[in-house]
Amino acid sequence: MGLLSDSDTQVLKQHLSVIDTPVSLLLFTQTFGGSEGGPIAKQVLDEVASLNDHISVVEKNFVLDTDDRAKYAVEREPAIVVLRNGEDTRMRFLGAPTGYEFVPLIESILLAGTGKVELEPSTVKMLDAVTTPTEIKVFSTPT
Amino acid sequence: MAFSSPHITATAVEATSFMDLSRKYHVTGVPKTIVNDSIEILGALPEEQFVETALQPGN
Repeated sequence: MGLLSDSDTQVLKQHLSVIDTPVSLLLFTQTFGGSEGGPIAKQVLDEVASLNDHISVVEKNFVLDTDDRAKYAVEREPAIVVLRNGEDTRMRFLGAPTGYEFVPLIESILLAGTGKVELEPSTVKMLDAVTTPTEIKVFSTPT
Repeated sequence: MAFSSPHITATAVEATSFMDLSRKYHVTGVPKTIVNDSIEILGALPEEQFVETALQPGN
């Protein structure tokens, strides 16, 4: 049984239909001794990817794929890295993207897949002025 | 923000699955935002206020 209801699936498919650029979701999980969230994250991503041909899920082994872990600075699992046309968007998710993390996941996929930024001009101006590495973490909960 | 700036990385963290991180950053309510391990923003702010707080000079 899927995590998404039939009605959610239809609405989501409609939302994702504007995507015109390939989006890859790199999913880092640990097969043995991994967290409970790994299989859930995979199911969520697989269901979302099934709704649009431009979205794909690329599974990475948290233990073995050390080069990719280093490349994307992945220190925990499950972790999701969002790529646009193979390029890092610097948008990440730690933990299964359910509950309150599901909408941000969809928004990040839409952003990666369309390139359409919906920020205020003043925000864009401030972002252009950022010249040093800046790490933002946003904590949320499933419910 | 991360998508629009090559210098910014943004990670959404599911707090209950990573209790060590939640403890480290004193997450007692959500959403809670941490910027460069130094700036803390509790709750959801309007975009302008959020950006001004998150990107304040010196961090």
